[in-house]
Amino acid sequence: MENPKFVYVTHINTSPEKLWTALTNPDFTQQYWGGRRVQSDWTTGASIKHQKADGAIELRGEVLQADPPRLLAYTFLSPPHEGSPVEKPTRVTFEISVAFGVTKLVVTHDGFEPGSRLFPEISNGWPAILSSLKTLLESGTALPFTWKC
Amino acid sequence: MNTSPKFIYVTLITTTPEKLWAALTSAEFTKQYWGGTAVESDWQVGSKVVFRWKGRIVHNDTVLKSEPPRLLSYSFHPLHIEELLSEPPSRVTFEIEEFTGKSARQGPVVKLTVTHEDFQAESKIFPMISKGWPDILSSLKTLLETGRAIEFEW
Repeated sequence: MENPKFVYVTHINTSPEKLWTALTNPDFTQQYWGGRRVQSDWTTGASIKHQKADGAIELRGEVLQADPPRLLAYTFLSPPHEGSPVEKPTRVTFEISVAFGVTKLVVTHDGFEPGSRLFPEISNGWPAILSSLKTLLESGTALPFTWKC
Repeated sequence: MNTSPKFIYVTLITTTPEKLWAALTSAEFTKQYWGGTAVESDWQVGSKVVFRWKGRIVHNDTVLKSEPPRLLSYSFHPLHIEELLSEPPSRVTFEIEEFTGKSARQGPVVKLTVTHEDFQAESKIFPMISKGWPDILSSLKTLLETGRAIEFEW
């Protein structure tokens, strides 16, 4: 059984700098990431946390690479679920470039163990988050939904 | 082990299923977001699907499923690249649903799932479509949400 890996490519009518800000500023992430405030000082080795609208910390991680506005990578560690084995941290990487005169974003989420319980969840989650991010940057308003926490 | 690759892409779009169906099936729409490709058919099962690109017919495929505005599937066999002609036709399917998921809805959001499968092992077409669909579907979303597509040319 192979280790699963999630890759998603989207083109956004914005600049790399604005996309970087949207990925790293909690006031932005709160709008398109199901209400999550993604917080870090974005230096290599710094801690990162995703805080839900109710204040609970959903996940923690560590910044692996931060090269604004081109490359951002961090570990992604979900809190243990009752009755499930603890999974090791995974890794999410954002690569930002320019193509077709707009900004190309490649999101790669890897480091999963075979049979990971988290993998199907993130495979559902990223398309929704990244669709809403694109809409926010292009229209000024995120997609009209919020996740129930 | 089954090595036949499969491409799946999900995007959420602020639109209605009917408008998304029209965007997938109207040549005037597809020309705007599909790198200039006019996708032409009467969308009856068994009918031809013709892709016109730069004045040439680059696909002459067949409608496999057509249930507006929810489900569309057709065969996929590029004709304009010599080295790809020997590959058997693959199949692309578009599924359109109201997006609910774990969300509290405040407006119309439609979930589009594009599945492209039935490739031969070691297909040369598979890496091309894996790069192409995100371009096309990003531009489609932008067109439906802002009225203007992302212009790109392959």
